[in-house]
Order: sequence, then C-alpha cells, then structure tokens
Amino acid sequence: MKRNKTNTGMLAALCGGVAALGIALLAPNAPLAPPANAKPPAPMAFCHAYPDAKACSSGFTDCATCHTTPPARNAFGLQVEANLAPGLPRPLSDEAFLKYLPEALKAVEDLDADTDGFSNIVEIMAGTQTADATSVPRMLACAPEDKARAAGALWNVCEYDPAYAYRKVHLDFCGQSPSRSNMDAFLKVEDQNEKLNRIGQALDQCLNSTYWLGKDGVVWNMANAKIRPAHAVKSGDNPGPVPLGDYDDDYNLFTWANSDDNDVRDLLLAQYFVKRTSSDPVRLEQVSETELAARPRGTKQPVPEEKRAGMITTRWFAAVHTMFTAIPRTTAAQAYRSYLGYDIAKMEGLHSVSNEPVDYDAKGVNAPACAVCHATLDPLSYPFTRYNGISGNYTYNDKRLLDYVRVDGAHVADAPASGMILGQPVSDLREWAEVAANSDAFAMKVTGDYWKLLIGRDPDVNDQPEFNRLWRGLKSETTYNYRVERMLHDLVLTNAYGRP
Amino acid sequence: MKISYHLGLLSVSVLVAACASSAPSPQTDLAAVESPAPVASSDPRVKFKDGERYLRDLSANLQIPRDEICKELSQYDCMTDAFRIVLGGVEAPNLLVNDPIESAALTSPIALDRVALHVCTNRVKLDQEKPEQAVLFQAGAFGKKDKAKKPDPAWMHQTADTIYGSVLMRTPSEQEVQNLVSFYDQVRDGRAANSKEVAADWVTLSCFAVASSLEAVFY
Repeated sequence: MKRNKTNTGMLAALCGGVAALGIALLAPNAPLAPPANAKPPAPMAFCHAYPDAKACSSGFTDCATCHTTPPARNAFGLQVEANLAPGLPRPLSDEAFLKYLPEALKAVEDLDADTDGFSNIVEIMAGTQTADATSVPRMLACAPEDKARAAGALWNVCEYDPAYAYRKVHLDFCGQSPSRSNMDAFLKVEDQNEKLNRIGQALDQCLNSTYWLGKDGVVWNMANAKIRPAHAVKSGDNPGPVPLGDYDDDYNLFTWANSDDNDVRDLLLAQYFVKRTSSDPVRLEQVSETELAARPRGTKQPVPEEKRAGMITTRWFAAVHTMFTAIPRTTAAQAYRSYLGYDIAKMEGLHSVSNEPVDYDAKGVNAPACAVCHATLDPLSYPFTRYNGISGNYTYNDKRLLDYVRVDGAHVADAPASGMILGQPVSDLREWAEVAANSDAFAMKVTGDYWKLLIGRDPDVNDQPEFNRLWRGLKSETTYNYRVERMLHDLVLTNAYGRP
Repeated sequence: MKISYHLGLLSVSVLVAACASSAPSPQTDLAAVESPAPVASSDPRVKFKDGERYLRDLSANLQIPRDEICKELSQYDCMTDAFRIVLGGVEAPNLLVNDPIESAALTSPIALDRVALHVCTNRVKLDQEKPEQAVLFQAGAFGKKDKAKKPDPAWMHQTADTIYGSVLMRTPSEQEVQNLVSFYDQVRDGRAANSKEVAADWVTLSCFAVASSLEAVFY
C-alpha cells in the first residue's frame, strides 16, 4: 500500500512538475501566454507519421522535438503549431490534435526551422534537431583516397572489417580475445565469405559459453534492471534474511528465452519455469509442474499455469512490485518499461484511454495533473489486479480486490480485470502479454537491448536502416522468427558492429 | 553514454600521465616517432573492455590462472572484489548496481593502471622464480658472463616482441620495438646498465606500458 502511494505521488508530482516548470520559466513580469498544452499523445503520434525516423527507434520521439520546456515550443514546434488546424479554438482536444497533426507535420516538412540549411524533413529522418542549428546531418562515408589507405591499415575504418569483428565477437560473447594462433589463422583467410563464416562459427561457439549464458554472465546481467534482484529478500539457494521469492527462476527464464532456438516472446508468454541443470556447460531445462508443486514453501510459484505470463507473473515480480497493492501500477509500469521500453515516469508510451483514470482505489489519480499519465497507466494496471503480491501469497484470485475494500474503499472492488495496452483492449493479463509480446515495441526493445550492449550505445542516426532491419527481422516468421541468436548472427555483420 | 565512459577514461589517463612527467614514459617517445596518422574513423565505437575481459585476456596471454592473476593485498580479486564497479562491472543483488556505470569514475583509470602494474609485476616475479617457465623475462639478458654493459640487443628485441605478442597478440612494428628498447636507459636512471634488477624493471614497465595502452584496454 505504502509503496504504491509513494509511486502514485511521484508520478503526480512529475506530471504536475512539467507544467509548473514551464510556468516558472516565464519572466516574472511577462504577460501570461495563451493556454498552450504539451500533448501526451504527441510523441507517439509523431512516430506514427515518421516510423523510420531515428528519433522513433523506440516508438516515440522526445518532447524536445517540439518543445523547449513543455509547454513552451521551440522553433519547429511553433511552425507545427501555426499549421495545426488553424482556426479551431484552443486548446485542441486530444482527438482533434491527433487528427490534424499529420497534415501540420507535412506542411512544415520543407521548411527549415533552425535555418541551418537542412530542411525539417531531412533533419527528422537523419535524427538531428530541427530546432538546433548546431545539430546537422553528417556523412560517414570515407573519401576515396582515405578508403584505399584505410584498407591497408591495421583497422579498416571505412568498411566492415572482418578481423576487427572476429576479435570483437570473441570479446563480447566469450569474454576474451581469440588466441594469437587463432587470430593469425583468420588473417590468412582471403575469401570474404569464409571470413564471415568463421565469424558466425565463433559466435555459435561463444553463444554457448558460460561467460555468455552462465550465472552472472552477460545474458544474466542484461536482466538485472528488469528483475531488480535484492539479496536481502531472496529465497531458495543462498537466501537472504527475509526470504520472499527466488529470483533465480526469473534469471533462468530470461536466459532460456534469449538462447538457443527459443522464442523470446516467452519472456511474456511462458507458462513454465526453467532450472539450471549444469553450470559448465550451461544447461537449462523446463521444470515439470510436479517438481514445481513439490518445492519448499518459500520458492513455490503459486500462480496457476493457465494464468501465467512469463516474467511478469513470477513470485519475485509480484513480491517486489505488487507487494500489498490493490491496483499494482508499479508492477504494470515496470513491465511496460522493461519489455516494451516505455517509461511512463518519463511520459513515454502514453496512450490515453477515454474516461480514465477512474481512480477505483481513491488515490486521487484523476486530478488533471495526474491523469495525463494515469489515463494510460491505470488501464494498463487493471489486468494485474487479480495477481497477489506479498499479501495473498502470490496467488491468482478473481475476487482479490474484495480484500482491499476495507483499506481502499468499496469502489476498489469494481476495478476490472480487463484493460488497455498500446491502444488495444485486453480482457486479462494473458491477453495483455500477447499484445505486448507481438508489438513492434517489444521487438524494438529486445533488439535495442542487444544493440546497446554490443554496439555500446543506442542506435544512431546512421544506424537506422540496420537497426530497423534487425527488429523487423526479429518479428518476421521468415527471418528470425523471434529467435535472438539468429538475430545476433546478423547483428555482428552490421557496419555498426564491424566498422571500427 | 558508453562513449562518455571511454572519453572519461582517456582524459583522466592523459591527466595522470601528464602529472607523472618525471616517470619514464615510452609513450612520449612513441608519439614523437609515429608514422603518418592513419585514417580516422568517422564514427568510432570503441568500447571499454571492462575489468573482467581485461583480466581474462591477460590471464590467457601471460599464462597466469584468472583467479591468481591480480589480488589486492594478496587476497582480494582485483575485479570481483576490489574494483568491480569502477572497472565496468555490475553487482545487482547487494549493491543494486544493475548496469555498468555510464561515465568513468575518477578512480577508473587509476584502478586500471594498478591492475596492469599488478599483473606485469606478478608475471616478471614468476619468471624470475621459475626461469624455465618464463613468459616475458627470459634468461640471457647480458650475454656470456654478464660482461655486456647493456642487455644483448637481440634479447631486448626478442623481449619487446614477446611483450607485444603476449599482451596485444600481434607482432610489433619495428618502431614499437625501438621505442621499448630506447626506454631501457630511462628505466636504468643512474643504476648499473647490466643489473638484472634493471632488466627486470624494464620488462615489467614495458609490459605495463603495453598493457595500459588504448589498444589493450579498448576494443
């Protein structure tokens, strides 16, 4: 209860803070500006108009695309505003805003808001700032004379350099450079295809290494921010002083879904758990329901098989996020952030639902400043309301909310099990997970996590074609079909990875 | 961003190097005689190896088991126990450090230098204790009856080649060999040129210079 209240308060403060900050920045004697509101749906609507823009690699653009400090607009935002349903009374409703935004964007494409010589549309597609004259597109191509010189150097900085990539694959996936004899042998290979084959073989070998798949290995550590382990409340092996749940289950499932020929959507869809049967070499196996039922008390997974949704219905996830809360907003927000890449606390991934938030638990989230985010977050959270946290012992219970009437009021029991995610209605958490796992956002998040890990930064302006190809390939049945290892085989062949 | 981590490391390294101006520096000489600048990458994406990768590489190349290669106070593993976070590691369950730090800590280059010196000192010490299994500091520095004023040039060339081969796993250029050979006089610094101690120090510091180079630390 306390935890949820705190987070609700923080969110409200943040939402309100955006507006407050905008007002605070006005000069004390300046006349009040006409009402101007930053539109929460705008970042996503912008990306619906420009899905291939660099700024939309995560599905939504930054507020700074149109604003200085919201609601104040930058030069580009002012151009858009001037072309946005001129004549209609302000403020525009969300519906009107979404309806007229595409044509307003279209109208300003050939203008140059920051007068840097590059039109708005060129900058949007290149990923540079339309309202900042110092931010301009740049080319990565080498001059012809440099190209020839680079080809004979230790590193070929003008093209994909197989020797560089070969060594990098060993370091990234095996944790150490290839041996000198191995490297020398690679350098003797002249055929380009054979070089690429050897890179693929090295990758295959390293993808099974303990460095990659083992406990505390690379894949394990990729899950840290999603699982948020805390040893003090760990149960199972190596328990902490107050054992609540065993996050080893979560790490094992994460590793499973990201390895071998397994479907990475099982992060959200798995109805099974996984155990490690060998640490070197790493071997993972699904746990039978019989074995699961026979586990000691502190390590059971009480959610029935048919109600499970991968990583977001585990005992640990419920213990650290839902805890004692009726409407588990923190749980939903963490799932949305971890698996779709949308951080609602940063106003990302907002899909306002009409007549929301209802505020079933009387937390005050329907105040205008809070509703900006809670109109998305609350419908996102309802499907989690039947899953118990610490109170209720991590079980699934259709009547769960009746237990909260005494504290949160009678209305809390009216909160539905159905909700909305990414603008789609869902009847329960299983459907929620289905929509999430099949979304573009999920594929982008999975691919983006690996991109950042292996390239060392988020996809850059020049990375967009390769990045888009990878996440779309992850979704495609005929390309990677949600198999991470297949996607990684192509990732290490990108220029982003292999050009020094 | 990762890149700021790299730049942070680089800039502090430069600062540390500048402060230690009285110390022998083979890299100063290296810069002075470097061949024409190679083509610069228009979009460099170098990554910090992180402490674990760094030690695993040195462990394999210098033939010291990973769990023995670097121990602070002779008991704490340099990466796992001593410098884990500043060298890019994570510790989620207890320290709640879920991801590697994005900007280098002020202590990151100091820790890395310390690890490199630790490892090289360790290797040369082992070489002296068991000459028959020596990796870097091979016997034969002073020729017959230790009469030479300086170590045998062929031995110095061979040692420089071995250091590059062991640490960076490549053959050094002639210039790189020359840089290390000419470094010997700086290491001697008033001591007898044919001292075994000076020769051992030269091997240790040459190893350190190569092991703390950008090429060894980034990839």
